[in-house]
Amino acid sequence: MSAARPRIFASPQEGLLTLLIIVVAVVAAFPMVWMVLSSLKTPQESMQVPPVWLPATPNLSAYAEVADVVSLGRSLVNSAVIATVTTAAIIVTSLMAGYAFAKYRFRGREALFAVLIAAMFLPPIVTLIPLYRITGYLGLNASLIGVIVPNLANAFGIFLMRQYIKGVPDELIDAARVDGASEMRILFKVVAPSVMPAIAALTLFAFVYHWNSYLWPLTVLQGQTEQYPIVISLSRLLSYNRGAMNTGLVMAGATMAVLPPVLLFVFLQRFFVDSIVSSGVKG
Amino acid sequence: MLAPATGLIGVFVLLPMALTIWLAFQDWSTQTGFETAQFVGLDNFFAIFGSSSVGRDFKAALVNTAVYTGLSVVVIVPLSVALGLLVHQRLAPGGIMLRTVLFSTYMVPMIAVALVWSKLYSPTEGPINQMLGWVGIGPQPWLSSPSTALVSLVVLNVWQQVGYFTVLAVAGLTQIPPTLYEAARMDGASAWRQFHAITLPLLSNTLLFSAVIAVINAVQVFEPVALITQGGPVNSTNVLTYHIRRVGIERAQGGLGSAMAVTLMLALVVAITLLFALARSREERA
Repeated sequence: MSAARPRIFASPQEGLLTLLIIVVAVVAAFPMVWMVLSSLKTPQESMQVPPVWLPATPNLSAYAEVADVVSLGRSLVNSAVIATVTTAAIIVTSLMAGYAFAKYRFRGREALFAVLIAAMFLPPIVTLIPLYRITGYLGLNASLIGVIVPNLANAFGIFLMRQYIKGVPDELIDAARVDGASEMRILFKVVAPSVMPAIAALTLFAFVYHWNSYLWPLTVLQGQTEQYPIVISLSRLLSYNRGAMNTGLVMAGATMAVLPPVLLFVFLQRFFVDSIVSSGVKG
Repeated sequence: MLAPATGLIGVFVLLPMALTIWLAFQDWSTQTGFETAQFVGLDNFFAIFGSSSVGRDFKAALVNTAVYTGLSVVVIVPLSVALGLLVHQRLAPGGIMLRTVLFSTYMVPMIAVALVWSKLYSPTEGPINQMLGWVGIGPQPWLSSPSTALVSLVVLNVWQQVGYFTVLAVAGLTQIPPTLYEAARMDGASAWRQFHAITLPLLSNTLLFSAVIAVINAVQVFEPVALITQGGPVNSTNVLTYHIRRVGIERAQGGLGSAMAVTLMLALVVAITLLFALARSREERA
C-alpha cells in the first residue's frame, strides 16, 4: 500500500454524485447569491444590459439609502417585536395545552384535539374577512397589537408539544405531585426542561413564520406605515422611484429581511429537521 | 391548562371560520358590524359563478389557482424525492450541506423571494435570459406575458418550497429498513427495480402527506401576485387569496368574499379527498 496515489474520489460514481450535489446546491443558492451581489452594486451596474454579475467596487450605499427610504430600523424593530412576542406566547400556550392533551384525561379530549388538528390545516385566507372585523370590534386594527393578538396560540404548536410531552414518563410527574408541586410548577420545572428540543423547534418555526408573514399584517395595519414589519416595508421599495427603479435598493432591503430567519435556521436546524420528522412521518 | 390556547384559537380561528360560512349567505359590507348582514340565500354563490365581472374574475382565479397548485405539486413531490435520495445517499459527501442550502430557501420570506425573482426574470437586465442566451435560446417574456406568467410563479414557488419537502422525503427514506435493499441486491435487483419495488411503496405515506401539504401551501399563494403581477397580465395570475382579499377587504364586499372563501375551502376538501382516494386505490392494486 506504499506510495498510493492520493485519490479524491473512491469511485467514478462518487465523483459524479458529488458533482451533481454541487450543481444542485449552486442552482438552489443562486437567487440568494444574486440578491446579495446586487445589493452591493452601484445603481448604474444594476441597470446594465447585459447584466453584470460581480460589482466592480462593492459598496454599502444601497443599505444606507434603504434605511432612509423605508425607515428600516423601525421596520426591523416592528418585525422583531411581532416575531418575539408571538413566539414566546405560542411556546407558553402550546406547552400548557400540549401538557393537558398528553397527560390529562377529560371528556371530549379526542374530539377537541381533532378540531385543533383541522384548524392547523386551515388556510388563513378563509378566516381573513371576519377576523378583520373581529379585531376591529376589539379596537385592535391599525396597531401592532392587532397583528400579534390573534396569533398568541397555534394549533401546530399544541400538536408538536403533545407529541413530545407524551414521551415524558408519568412517574416523573407523579413524583413531583407527591412532593406537592403545583401543576404550573410541574409543567415549567419538570416537563418543559425534558422537551427542550421541541421548544427549540417551535421557537424556530414560530419566529420564522411570523417574521415572514405578510397577509395578516398588511390587512390589519391598514396602511399605518409606522407599524409596518420589514416584509411589508419592502414592498414600498418597489413603488419608490428616484429616476429609474433601483434594483440595488430593493435587494439591500431583501437581504436585511432574509438574514434573521435564515441565521436562526442555521443555528437551530437540527431541531427543526427533527420536528418535521416527528410531525410528518410518525404523526 | 387548556383555556388560554383553546380560548384564543376559538375566538381567532374557529369563530371566524363559522362566521365565514354564515356570511357567505349574507349581503354584508366588511366596513359595517355583523348585525347589518342581510340573509340572501345562495345569491352570493350565483354571483361568483355567474357571468358578471365578479363571476368572470372569480372563475379565472379559481382556474389559475388550480393550475398553479396542480403544477406545483406535480413538480415538487417527485423533485423532493429525487433530491431526498441525493441528500440521503451515503456514497458521496455533501448531503448535509445540500440539505442546509435547500432548506434555507424555505426560511426566506416569500416577499424577498418574489422581489429577487422579479429581477432574475427581468427580460433585459436579468441573468436568466442572459444564461439562456449563452446556450442559444432567445429571451423569454417570463412575468410579462399571459402565457408564461403563471408558470414563472410556479418555478419561484418550487424553488422556495422544495427544500421542506426534501426534508420530509429524507425522513421517509430513513424509515425504510436497509436490510430490504440488501436482500434485493442479493436477488440481483437493479437500482431502478429497487426504487420501484421498495422505495416508492414504502414512501407512499410520506408522498401523500407531502402532496397534501403542497396543495395547502400552494392555494395560499399571495405575495408574488400582490407584489409583482397584481393578477396580470390579463388576469393570468389572479389567484384566490389575492382575489378574495381584494373583494372582501379592499372592496369591503364581505358576503361575496366569504362565499369565495367557502368555495375555496370546499375545493380544498375535494382535492385532498381525491388525493387520499388515489393513494388508497394504488395501495389496493399493489
